[in-house]
Amino acid sequence: MTTCPRAEDLYLYLEGELGAHETRALKAHLERCPACREALADRRLLHEAFTSLPPFEVPPDFALSVMARLPEPAEAGWLAPLVASAASLVVGLLGFHLFTGASLSDVLVAVNRFVGLVIARSLPLAAKAFKVGNLLLKVASDLVSIAIAGLEVFSRSIGPQGVGLILGLGVLLTLLAIFGARRLLSLGEKT
Amino acid sequence: MTDDSKLVARALEGDRKAFEMIVRKYEQPLTSYLSRMTGEREAALDFAQEIFVKAYCSLKSFRPAYKFSTWLFKIASNHLIDHWRKRRLPTVSLDQPIDDGDGPLMPQVPDPAPSVARRFELAEIRQRIERALESIPEAFRELFILRHVNDFSYEEIADIKSLPVGTVKNRVFQAKEMIRKRMAGS
Repeated sequence: MTTCPRAEDLYLYLEGELGAHETRALKAHLERCPACREALADRRLLHEAFTSLPPFEVPPDFALSVMARLPEPAEAGWLAPLVASAASLVVGLLGFHLFTGASLSDVLVAVNRFVGLVIARSLPLAAKAFKVGNLLLKVASDLVSIAIAGLEVFSRSIGPQGVGLILGLGVLLTLLAIFGARRLLSLGEKT
Repeated sequence: MTDDSKLVARALEGDRKAFEMIVRKYEQPLTSYLSRMTGEREAALDFAQEIFVKAYCSLKSFRPAYKFSTWLFKIASNHLIDHWRKRRLPTVSLDQPIDDGDGPLMPQVPDPAPSVARRFELAEIRQRIERALESIPEAFRELFILRHVNDFSYEEIADIKSLPVGTVKNRVFQAKEMIRKRMAGS
């Protein structure tokens, strides 16, 4: 560096923000330029003061006063949907009353009848679905117990060597299938 | 996940103690910034309260990939801008050339002026810096405070202020030279 560096570079040097090449050049220049050494010493003192300005003294109860100003968290879970449903029902009833001119008691009676009808129709249907589900579960459990019994009879008839042989063959076939699948996939990637 | 991100996650689950820990961690850096930006102790405390409440209400928008401190100071900086806009205080654009009445602000070294800092003890230099800081345009003051009071990196300041890093470096330098010139004149 033959010319004197910019003042900005002196600050960046003091902050360790100057690149390695620029730092070497600046150091070399400082060795032969007393004016720049003087300027750097002045900036160094300023830099020291800049970076040690006193912090603000916060009152000890500040955090508590912030916490007191925070809004309360909304009640989580069931309350909000329940309130929303009740509000929608009231709005719906009022809307119906306003549009049709029917009295509120008539609307409530109609809603009550409708709900009753829905329950009366859906309950037998739900009972039938429950019966069918129960039957299906019973059939499935019978099938599983028959399969287990069959396996036991088969393993007894072929003996422990036969079971070992079949398990070994099963493992071998699984490994071959995995290896084959990986090979197929890698061929696919290459093409 | 950083400690701050963990505290934010807990606060989002309704743990108010976690947010109190965030407040205790950032109350001093935030008020140090605000007091120097507003020049008034009480205003700094009021603003800090408002900013923490704002941050609490916007916690869901915080992304753990970012630094919490940067996010918080971005809220603080925008809060100040809104405040000044409402009060219609003159603001200085960072894109305009600065004329502080003392000539151009791009001095080269060696500076012919005598040493400024070495005339004083460190404690006195700090006092003079604080006084000089009050008189420089707020846009430059803010970048200087973020760098040297709050110890943010130039990259973090660029993120907070949505400015290029080079611009931030140059403006922080200009702020320092403005302070130095005012100290020399005092």
